[in-house]
Amino acid sequence: MIRLIHVSKSFDGGRSYAVKDLSFQVNDGEILVLLGSSGCGKTTTLKMVNRLIEPTEGIIEVNGKNVMEQAPVALRRRIGYVFQGIGLFPHMTIEKNVALIPSLMGWPLQKIQERVRELLELVDLPPEDYAKRFPDELSGGQQQRVGLARALAADPAYLLMDEPLGALDALTRDILQQKLLDIKKQLKKTIIFVTHDIFEALLIGDRIAILHKGHLQQIGTKEEVLSAPATEFVHDLFAKPARQLADFKDIL
Amino acid sequence: MSLESLTTYIVNRLPELWLRTGEHIMLTGFSTGTAILIGIPLGIIIFRNAWLRAPVMAVIGILQTIPSLAMLVFLLALLQKIGALPALIALTLYALLPIVRNTLTGLKGVSPQVIEAATGIGMTKYQRLKLVRIPLAASVIIAGIRTAAVVGVGIATLSAFIGAGGLGQFINRGLALYDTKLILLGAVPTALLALIVDFSIGAFEWGFRPERKKDKKGLVKSLVRPLALMMPLLLIMTAGILSYFTRPLSGIQTEAVSKTSTRTIRIATKNFTEQLILGEIMAQLIEARTDLFVERYFNLGGTMICHNALVHGQIDLYAEYIGTGLTVILKYPVISDPEEALSQVREAYKKRFNARWLKPFGFNNTYAITVRTADAKSYGWTRISDIQKAAPRLRAGFTAEFTERPDGYPGLRQIYGLRFGEIRDLDPAIMYEAVSKGEVDVICAFVTDGRIAAYNLKSLEDDRQFFPPYHAAPVIRGEILEEHKKLRDVLALLEGLLDNATMQSLNFKVDGKGYSPAQVAGAFLKSQGLL
Repeated sequence: MIRLIHVSKSFDGGRSYAVKDLSFQVNDGEILVLLGSSGCGKTTTLKMVNRLIEPTEGIIEVNGKNVMEQAPVALRRRIGYVFQGIGLFPHMTIEKNVALIPSLMGWPLQKIQERVRELLELVDLPPEDYAKRFPDELSGGQQQRVGLARALAADPAYLLMDEPLGALDALTRDILQQKLLDIKKQLKKTIIFVTHDIFEALLIGDRIAILHKGHLQQIGTKEEVLSAPATEFVHDLFAKPARQLADFKDIL
Repeated sequence: MSLESLTTYIVNRLPELWLRTGEHIMLTGFSTGTAILIGIPLGIIIFRNAWLRAPVMAVIGILQTIPSLAMLVFLLALLQKIGALPALIALTLYALLPIVRNTLTGLKGVSPQVIEAATGIGMTKYQRLKLVRIPLAASVIIAGIRTAAVVGVGIATLSAFIGAGGLGQFINRGLALYDTKLILLGAVPTALLALIVDFSIGAFEWGFRPERKKDKKGLVKSLVRPLALMMPLLLIMTAGILSYFTRPLSGIQTEAVSKTSTRTIRIATKNFTEQLILGEIMAQLIEARTDLFVERYFNLGGTMICHNALVHGQIDLYAEYIGTGLTVILKYPVISDPEEALSQVREAYKKRFNARWLKPFGFNNTYAITVRTADAKSYGWTRISDIQKAAPRLRAGFTAEFTERPDGYPGLRQIYGLRFGEIRDLDPAIMYEAVSKGEVDVICAFVTDGRIAAYNLKSLEDDRQFFPPYHAAPVIRGEILEEHKKLRDVLALLEGLLDNATMQSLNFKVDGKGYSPAQVAGAFLKSQGLL
């Protein structure tokens, strides 16, 4: 379980806040989507969970313990992270990228090799074809699968995903969204997934938290946010695509 | 020169060419290697401590701006040692800048996204440096090493000035003898070597790069890669083998200058023709008349270098001029009487340096203020005093030493009131030609130089007896003379043997007719029945 209790973050000593008074909870085995437009504070929120950014105020608990009281390196190894810009290491093969954290954690070699095979198969990249390649020899979608495999490598209970599919074309994104749902069913991870894509949020999220200018607007299941928008912002957010969708149907 | 004689010219010098090439690679290789061992850690340290960057880069940058020759001479004075050590230190200091700078640039240049990913998945600071930053900076760092090594090959030619060997010896000798062929014999292999070094480090970089799956595979390729990786090592090994096998051909050593057996005598010369001939005469005579083995440290870059080397036991013997010993080394006032001057230097050298002045060779190689004969005739110049009025309109070409020595231009100004309109520093090898071609009007010729007559020049009489006597004599370390008492008698055979005319003709055989100093010295000794 991940819990945020009155968390705020200011980068300029309190003159303005990227995130203000944020409180919510992510239950075990749940995908919570942080939805909002760019600059709303969703990436900042995500990075505070594994201490890439430290909160100005409030408490963040992972596994029932304040993250500020946990050693950052050990904390990060317990939380998988998939980066917006993928962030694979260009000088390492796919195999090495995925194996990096397990080997730094001192896993036995054979266990690492098995784990890499297992993960590459899980993300549909046959190891015999892909293990020895370098990131720049892969397409964007394939690289993002490797990013996911790397985040899962040390079998963390938590996964943070920062717009992992943002840069991909619609078709590839669709395939990977399905893949992610499959994996979630198989692996039972607790996931925070950041996106600005409303349809992605509705498809993937067990619950959706809508952020606007650093403030939490509403948190709830898709039915809840669609049927009873808590603020005007949330209402407008869903109204516009709904209208577009209706127009699209008319054309068809 | 015909192709055939060019081939013979090179073939005759091939053994020495190999030796010098080997030495050159060793000098560059060792200094670049040391610079890598210091520079990369230093680059990493200043990367991690940003406040150190500006001061460290400033110091290294300043080192880079010191002219190479000045650096060598400074280190020479500091270490009181000629040979490989000061050269290696100087070359290492020069190699530092590109290596440290590229290490810093490479480490800074790693994309922040990649670093954030490394942090985010739980790598420690050290792991990020070791596993991410350094590998990603490697190609930039290697590029820095490549620059350092190629520049090093060039700078290493200057090490010959302080007796460290290398291809610069040919260039140096060529400059001293004004011999273009010799200069090219040093310069062309140096340029080729620079290309080879550049290529081999380039190959290393290619071999070092991780292999891509899409790269074409094949037996040849899989062999070429490790080979490419080994290129710099192979080059250094080749050099090691070269210098090991060619060493016995010549007495000059790159390493461990001071390690010499008691059966060796080390003879040095300054870097001009007369010195080279005197050095050869003494060397060949000693080789013929004793069972000592002679090591030649020829072409050292000036009076102070020879003198310091002698005082610190790096060399045993060289020919010095009384006036130079008196004014430049002992800083005594000018004494015109040769006997008196010699007894003064003899006594002072014995007391202060434990060095002995032996019997002079005979000639007095004094400076001579020299002009074109045509000018002397048309203006009626015969004595130095005669040009005093004309001086402000005249351009003088002096050796760098003469411009500063108390028995040179400063004294000349005082005694004769000469104020030349323009002073140009010229190498002794080219000043005769420069005055004959009208590029300057007055030079400080050496009386024994054959080119005074050959270029139709006129030396003016020193009517106020300003110049001290410059009789040359062997100067030898006291300990060596004690150890090998025979040397005194052997070198005494040369006493008074070379008068001004003889020395002038010997010099001209080298400068004008293109014989080597060794040939001229040998022929002279034979003609005197000494060989």
